[in-house]
Amino acid sequence: MSKSGPIHDAVQAVTDLYTNRLDLLGAAAGPKIGWLSIDTPEEILFAAGAIPFRLTGEVGTSTDEAAARLSNNYCSYVLSCFSEGLAGIYDFTDAVVFADSCDMRKRLWEAWTRDVPSIDTYFLELPNDASEISKEYFALHLRKLIKWLEQRYRCVITDDTLRQSIELCNRTRELMRRLYEYKKGERQFLSGEESIQIVKAATTGLRERFNTSMEVLLDTLAAAEQTPARKRHRVLISGSYFDHQGIVETIERSGADLVCEDISNGIKYFEGRIDPGADPVTAIADYYLEKNTSARRLDTDVRLQHLLDLVHEYKADSVIYYALKFCDTNLHDYPYIKDRLRREKIPVLFIEGERNTTNIAGTRTRIETFLESRMF
Amino acid sequence: MQPETIQQQRGTQYENLLRLLGEPGSATENVSALKATRMRSILNCYRLAEAYKKGTKVAYVSEQFPTEIVFAMGAIPWNIESMAIMLAQSVDVNRIFQMTQEHELSRDICSFLRGPFGMMLAECYPSPDIVLTNDQPCEGLSKMMFMSGKRYTAPVLGLHSPNSVDDDSLNYLVKQLEQMLLRIAHEFGVELNGDSLRAAVDYSNQARAYYCKTLSLLETHRLPGVSRELQEIFGMNYFGTKENVQVCKVLYEEAVELVQGEQNSGKRVLWIGQVPEESHELLRHMREAVDIIFWAPLWEANSVMLDEAQPLRSIAERAILYHWSAGRMEKDILRICDAYGIEGFLIANVWGCRNMVGISPMLRDVATSRKLKYLTVNLDLVDRNNYAFNHVKNRVDAFLELMQ
Repeated sequence: MSKSGPIHDAVQAVTDLYTNRLDLLGAAAGPKIGWLSIDTPEEILFAAGAIPFRLTGEVGTSTDEAAARLSNNYCSYVLSCFSEGLAGIYDFTDAVVFADSCDMRKRLWEAWTRDVPSIDTYFLELPNDASEISKEYFALHLRKLIKWLEQRYRCVITDDTLRQSIELCNRTRELMRRLYEYKKGERQFLSGEESIQIVKAATTGLRERFNTSMEVLLDTLAAAEQTPARKRHRVLISGSYFDHQGIVETIERSGADLVCEDISNGIKYFEGRIDPGADPVTAIADYYLEKNTSARRLDTDVRLQHLLDLVHEYKADSVIYYALKFCDTNLHDYPYIKDRLRREKIPVLFIEGERNTTNIAGTRTRIETFLESRMF
Repeated sequence: MQPETIQQQRGTQYENLLRLLGEPGSATENVSALKATRMRSILNCYRLAEAYKKGTKVAYVSEQFPTEIVFAMGAIPWNIESMAIMLAQSVDVNRIFQMTQEHELSRDICSFLRGPFGMMLAECYPSPDIVLTNDQPCEGLSKMMFMSGKRYTAPVLGLHSPNSVDDDSLNYLVKQLEQMLLRIAHEFGVELNGDSLRAAVDYSNQARAYYCKTLSLLETHRLPGVSRELQEIFGMNYFGTKENVQVCKVLYEEAVELVQGEQNSGKRVLWIGQVPEESHELLRHMREAVDIIFWAPLWEANSVMLDEAQPLRSIAERAILYHWSAGRMEKDILRICDAYGIEGFLIANVWGCRNMVGISPMLRDVATSRKLKYLTVNLDLVDRNNYAFNHVKNRVDAFLELMQ
């Protein structure tokens, strides 16, 4: 892991973009557009000259007010993003795009529109499958989004500008894919937390700086000594929005490696590639619907097959299935996914948690017990 | 799944269901005075028994699924969620929920969804030939539908209803419906028959016409039992059959008669959210003080007549209107308040229903703007482990006092 030295420095240059994102975004020229779901087509927002960034919900310290406006029995990611909106954390933001990625985010869009009037909103329809008619429909809605952006920013979004932003985002995907190749090996250069922070840095919208820093990081990794390492237990995490540092640390302190994050702050964000030679809007629509392997997709088999492929590809020894409390689709999927993983003799541990929980003693004990019995 | 296996299973499943519902403690009180209610109960018993018979085509459907296309295909729709309310009347309810927990289904999920899952685990539902789902009223139900298809190895066909009502969305949904019809015909090994769809649409419209006329009477008259019966007709969602036309017609005729002998039955409270079974203590308690009418059967979507020339398009429009949407619902509830003379809201937040709690602030804002009294109660209408009447009674009493 990169505790010090050139790898550490190169990682930090990337993750600094995430750590300092609010200051950097505030100072950057151009309109900023927030988003919550990785199904949001950033390419189109970039093509409008905007800076698209993900709301992470980690600055607000209390969700009391948000819960009063929605409910306590709500996804803590949704509540914390709403809290940030209510607290004015994103006052530098021009608008937020809400893709129809789950029922609670849809309700958040309505609550945001009502209670955070200073930041405009856009609701993006999003089919829950990848059929041809759904792709066609999604493309129609991408064109509506383009029109909205053109009117809002008095700009013209051409096929050429879209192709440029596709190239920019595909470059990120390629760099991330190369980085994750290292995670398939036995020697882990990055901790789980660093990996998640790197993905988060990619979602800050500071895309060119991110790509440049990533190139440096990849060069540094290429030059690093490829000494063999002792094989450690390899864990894959799958489920809801996840970035809980305490849980990642628990896994790694137990002597295991978090080798793959099958989550929106992990591989799900950058998988695949948009076809640069096709009609840009069609290609963007196809990419986002085909890429979607989240619990939101009706056909859980698509998600399950994707998970099994990742377990194989990353040689994971066990899976931790993390569901945010009240994240209904992930909670519904779990019994089905668990049955299949157990049939495949892949150990799985279910954890239901909340984003900002600090007291994780019980969870820590469960993880340690789960891993210990498989490692020694 | 092989037809022979389905038929063998259905015999056992029917016995299991009767055993579950026949336990002492099942609610048999509160026999309604309305003839329409008794007719609907007979119809329910009949279709329930039919669904377990050899050779019956059973389609699991989600709430507000366009049942006209199910009837057009000669199948019986089995609404897995509304059947959960039967479970609430069984003393064996805890055992059913225990089974869902043993299968590691989270208790944070709405009991209207955990209930059907438990009924499937207990082998009480008839094995389906096909599973048809849309995303109404929630994505949780869609997921449960998908899982039910997997459990019985039945094909799962899903519709995605967009949120906006415009030509693009309607066309998209129409295309999905066309594809779904082709797939059902293929799965059932039958030819697509335009006549049977036309007949189902015609029956649906006939029933809808009586339904809407009854709604009109309810606007200005206190008609005991009528709102409840509309709620049941809405929940049963049997539009597309001749029998449902008869039920709706009789209800309308009874409503006309009730207008003659109308008595004032207290201030009118709109029950917003999921509705308990008729004998539920909270309903009984409130009815002593106020006139309760239920929200869902009054929704604008319930008044949509299907276009006989383009039935799929109007089915699509109705489907989108059924979607949870704070903006549309705000307009609709203002209309309901005006039309039905609503004086208070009882907002029933059922544990696990994210959409209901998500739109509650809008409802409270509407109540405030109209100077209506309102009470929000958190309850669970199926799983008694999550709710006790005594916990909400004081608040309900205070609300009823305010209403006086």
